[in-house]
Amino acid sequence: MNPSIIGQMAVSGALMGLVYALIAYGFQLTYATSKSINFGQGELVMVSAFFSLTLMNLGLPYWAMIPGGLLFGALMGLAVERAGVRLALEQKSEGWILLTIILGLFFFSAAENLWGRDDRPFPTPISADPIHVLGVDVTRLELSVAVGVLAIMGAIELFKRRTLLGKAFEAVSADRDAAELMGISATRTVMLSYALSGAVAALAGILVSPITTVGPTMASALILKAFSVAVVAGLDSGFGVVLIGMFLGALESLASFYLGSGWREAPGLLLLILALAVRPTGVFGKAAIRKV
Amino acid sequence: MFRQTVYGSLLLAALGLQAGDTVKIAITGPFTGGSAPMGGSTRDGAKLAIAEINAAGGIQVGGRKMKIEAIERDDEAKNERGALIAQELAAMGDLAGVIGTVNTGVCLAGDKHLQEKGVTKIICPAAGSASMTQWANKQDRAGVKDSSIFRFAAHDGIQAAMVVEEAINRKFAKVAVVFDSTNYGVSGRDDMLDQIKKQGDKLQVVAQEKFNIGDKDMTAQLLRAKSAGAQAILIWGIGPELAAISNGMAKIGMKVPLIGGWTLSMSNYIDNAGKNGNGTLMPQTFIEEPITPKAKAFIDGYHKAFKVGRIPSPVAAAQGYDAVYLMAAAIKQAGSTDTRKVKEALEDLKEPVQGVIATWNHPYTKWDAADVTTHEAFRREQVVMGMVKDGRVVFGNDSDRERLRKSATTATPAKTTPAKTKAAPKKK
Amino acid sequence: MRRILLLRGAELIVFAALAAIPLLVVNPYALGLLTLLAIYGILLIGLDVTVGYLGQVNLAHVAFLGLGAYTAGLAVTKLGLGMGPALAAAMAVGLLLGGLLALPALRLEGPQFALATLSFAALSTTALNELESLTGGAQGLSLSRPPVFGHALTPPLFFWLCLALMALVWMLMRNMLSSQWGRAFEALRDSPIATDAMGVGAYRHRVAAFSLGSGLGGLAGGLYAFNFQYLQPQSFNYDLMIILLLGVVLGGRKSLWGAFVGASVIVLLPNLLSNRLLFQIFSASGFALALAAGLRGLVKKITRPFQALAPVAAMGLLVVGGLLVENTEDWRKAIFALMLFSVVVGLPEGLMGFLSLFLAKLFRVPQAPLPKPSDIETILPTHEADGAPLLVLEDLRRHFGGVKAVDGLSMTVRSGTIHGLIGPNGSGKSTVVNVISGLYTPSSGRVLLRGGALPTGSLFRVSRSGVARTFQNLQLFGELTALENVMVALKGVYRSPLPMVLLGLARQEERRAQADALCLLDRIGLRDQALTRAKDLTYGAQRFLEVARALARKPDLLILDEPAAGLAHPDVVQLIEIIKRIHKRGISIILIEHHMDVVSELCHTVTVLDGGKVIAEGSPDEVKRDPRVMEAYLGQPPEPGPSGTSDPSGAPVPEPA
Repeated sequence: MNPSIIGQMAVSGALMGLVYALIAYGFQLTYATSKSINFGQGELVMVSAFFSLTLMNLGLPYWAMIPGGLLFGALMGLAVERAGVRLALEQKSEGWILLTIILGLFFFSAAENLWGRDDRPFPTPISADPIHVLGVDVTRLELSVAVGVLAIMGAIELFKRRTLLGKAFEAVSADRDAAELMGISATRTVMLSYALSGAVAALAGILVSPITTVGPTMASALILKAFSVAVVAGLDSGFGVVLIGMFLGALESLASFYLGSGWREAPGLLLLILALAVRPTGVFGKAAIRKV
Repeated sequence: MFRQTVYGSLLLAALGLQAGDTVKIAITGPFTGGSAPMGGSTRDGAKLAIAEINAAGGIQVGGRKMKIEAIERDDEAKNERGALIAQELAAMGDLAGVIGTVNTGVCLAGDKHLQEKGVTKIICPAAGSASMTQWANKQDRAGVKDSSIFRFAAHDGIQAAMVVEEAINRKFAKVAVVFDSTNYGVSGRDDMLDQIKKQGDKLQVVAQEKFNIGDKDMTAQLLRAKSAGAQAILIWGIGPELAAISNGMAKIGMKVPLIGGWTLSMSNYIDNAGKNGNGTLMPQTFIEEPITPKAKAFIDGYHKAFKVGRIPSPVAAAQGYDAVYLMAAAIKQAGSTDTRKVKEALEDLKEPVQGVIATWNHPYTKWDAADVTTHEAFRREQVVMGMVKDGRVVFGNDSDRERLRKSATTATPAKTTPAKTKAAPKKK
Repeated sequence: MRRILLLRGAELIVFAALAAIPLLVVNPYALGLLTLLAIYGILLIGLDVTVGYLGQVNLAHVAFLGLGAYTAGLAVTKLGLGMGPALAAAMAVGLLLGGLLALPALRLEGPQFALATLSFAALSTTALNELESLTGGAQGLSLSRPPVFGHALTPPLFFWLCLALMALVWMLMRNMLSSQWGRAFEALRDSPIATDAMGVGAYRHRVAAFSLGSGLGGLAGGLYAFNFQYLQPQSFNYDLMIILLLGVVLGGRKSLWGAFVGASVIVLLPNLLSNRLLFQIFSASGFALALAAGLRGLVKKITRPFQALAPVAAMGLLVVGGLLVENTEDWRKAIFALMLFSVVVGLPEGLMGFLSLFLAKLFRVPQAPLPKPSDIETILPTHEADGAPLLVLEDLRRHFGGVKAVDGLSMTVRSGTIHGLIGPNGSGKSTVVNVISGLYTPSSGRVLLRGGALPTGSLFRVSRSGVARTFQNLQLFGELTALENVMVALKGVYRSPLPMVLLGLARQEERRAQADALCLLDRIGLRDQALTRAKDLTYGAQRFLEVARALARKPDLLILDEPAAGLAHPDVVQLIEIIKRIHKRGISIILIEHHMDVVSELCHTVTVLDGGKVIAEGSPDEVKRDPRVMEAYLGQPPEPGPSGTSDPSGAPVPEPA
């Protein structure tokens, strides 16, 4: 087959995969500190995108809107933590699974009514015209997604390694009880992780909306893929999600090209079940020794 | 069990409370979720008509004027909900009729309950061919003797015929057929392939591509179409995925026209495709251009009542609006809110009904299981080719505009004998 | 007796009343809802097996509903089968594919398990959608109910069929879940390792549970097909799965009644909320309920403030919103979410968990009576030990990467002895135990029991060979009662095959198991707390329960892994007493312990490990005087003189913390 077509498929798919990776990274952040993830993360992506759109409709320029959108995402993350996660963590139950699903349902319905059920375009100053690189067409918009994803992941990883607060984050991730003994508040750290995760979700929304449009259902397909990426890479794998995300994205593109578009997701799903069967903690996850 | 009885008694109480001096019309459809722009527009169009009728005092039923009470049910585009809602409506007993449903699957799962009880339903604004053909004669079995299910939509047969015809008129030889993986998309594909055969196999289908609801990256499908040398894309789908197709085409530098079903006129396509949507063609029953006073009043009324600058789906809204007027006319003629009598009146409407799409002159006739068009209101001539131009749908053809302006005032030709052919007459 | 009467009576009344409704009310809508309720009842009972009993977030259940539905549909339309065979085929497909899916999903827990099942569901939807020639793809599959015995099934008849099947499923599942099978499922949830170590077989029970739950999903799917008579692959999607999951949790996990209540909620609520008046009644009464429950909880200090206030806030929002919003139909999902939120936060045990407490009080339902304990001689007959080598380790090695945790260890445990195994932290004691008991596979070397090779690398097979163990980090089945913990492990009692269990013909052995377990609890002084959940026992009691549970394996060799860790002095004394009594019955024991006084008092022989090697062996007194032992513990050779010989009275050997 024509190599430039394969290249085009792989690149387009991989760029989409980066968005999966960013949302997956949001899962990782909260999983690290609290062993919980927000099953309503997709709705956070969506409401944050809607909110950012509203900011722009109010006259805020694109670049000034971004911090506002991120802040909103962080606040929503905190709301999820307070309403859906904290109680369950205190009781050491798995109630957070349902509560985060329920909160997602609520956000979805609220967004439908507040912003309407229709998909809407998300204006951006970044051009969507294709540029030709090495026989492959990409748009600046797609490249901006890649840059944004890597930038925020890099920034957060740097924050975790270089700042005191970030080190507290790492300490709670490594051993919650020991960190508490050292005087680090696990509750606050979990709050921090949810706020960061919310901000990451908001950025995902802002980055992807110009390509996918904004609508209540915009994230429902993304979120399942992101979840796969997070688990297959390993919920503690850090940058592993980037590789797995790009791989899955490219695989989907190629599968729909060669197997027919209806079977787009099938190879990914099969690989996923196999990968989990072989490495339950994920490809880049830390394998745990069973201790009793 | 305790809960059960509580539910039961509350249910009975609620049903009892509803009995009153109103004409009950149920409006169903997906008001939440992905198909909501269509379902919601239909509902709002219908509610606009109901508000107008009620403001004028209601419908003259027998000796007195009765107001219309709308009973709204959201089927969420889910078959299971649709079936339950149909059962609920069928059990109400005092319902004059039902208007609504977008999804073919919901029709297939639910309408049988209405049909069994003889509850009159006007399917509006869409639903694939199977929603009507399920009652008609098939190779292996006979259709129902009498049907209370009507359709008020440019059925896919008409639309597919127009799409194929347009491609032939534009002298294309190789086309790609692209469709979504839902019932709607797949039956659209079948209709188009069928029409290509019927119209003399002048088009060669070089690629058949499918996409899923929620897909954002269409590069693979488009590259296959492009590398196969498609000169046009015939498309059948709903919603923002269509915009993803247009945008994907721009990205890989594929400059061929998109021709497809009427859903290409929905704002979620036009807005999201932006300039990449220009030139896209689709059959339309209504175009949001105030070409007649009636259309102007409708468009302004809708914008005002629902506080929008543009109707999410003008076609759906206009059809919902006209469907209510048809139903109201039938109730008036029947002089009763009994749904069976409404059905009979609907099959034989004596007076033309002035709607926003057209003036409907005897749109339905007595059910014939050998010919579903007896219960179809739309004819080829009420449908025009629309084209996306700078964020709006305009008439693709100026002669259509003139024709419609005239027909809106003179009323459609009365249908006395069931139309025999579905294939549309050739356009000039 | 009163208990049985009340419980069975309640079931009978509900089913009879449900069955009578079509006779009294002629309303096809109500009938449609009730039919769906029965179908979802079966579906949720199946889901509860994996979600409630196995404790896993299973997202594949909806796929089995779909696969079952399509199987039944295709069986009727393509093969021309009748309704009975079609339903059987639907169930068989669920059983089979459920078992198959359990295989790769076996090692997974939590989010990983959820994802694997989710992927399966997505794959099956894709397959149903894409195999157009077979399933009709997205166009859907229309079918009609085949007549049964020449009679067309009218809606009431079909409802009775569904209800009868649900009653049947209910009865069989009640029998099964209250037997050893149900306990094994729950044991698996709380500790798969201990389940294996108690000879129950985590592997096959997990496959069985998953297969069974999925089979019920398939059966429900078959009924679903005949109910709606039109199928589309997209109906069986993630949204529906979430609703099902919420149904199980809302109703209350691990309860047939819970599944039933959950099914009622998810079937009836969305349909009833369409009605504005009903909605306002619901929200107002919900608000009142939340307020009352919240206040009561706060006054009695049994709930956290958040738990009491959040439902009140949520229901308050509902009431206010109901007044402000004109069209509640638009907000239906939000309303549903707020109600669910209130229940999940306010009533974590689910509606039925809450109601059953309340009802049990109201009708004064007594606890089930316990049988008289068996005689200990019938469970653990005393036998004379011959002093022959029982367990022999030959040059045993276990390496983790570069770490040589056990490095060429040889030792012999003689029958009838208590053999101490001591050493400083990290000396390899626990690894030795884990290798013997089958948790770890040895890197090399042999383990012989009575001269024959002991299976390696399988807790389950080792346990079946007559070696039982306790765990240093408690591995009790927390949600099970003390009695059930012991009953799970009981060896040689459960003989009835599954069909007998399902039909409720295995009650006799259930009584026997209770009596035996009660006897063992009596030996460790926990008879009075037999019905307390293990996680609610005191720490000391939990340690003893581990011992009793291991004894239920009726072992030749009992391995006690630091049984005295963390115990207070009186408990240590009691523990010593218990171990002595066990030993008297002729059971050989390996005791890993830090408390030197315990070791001195109990052990005949002590083996001292350091760095994965044996550094000394002999009587407790001999090893205490061994200079290599002192060096290992103190990190330096002992000074000659009085400080070298530690206090012979048995103060713990000092060890680095």
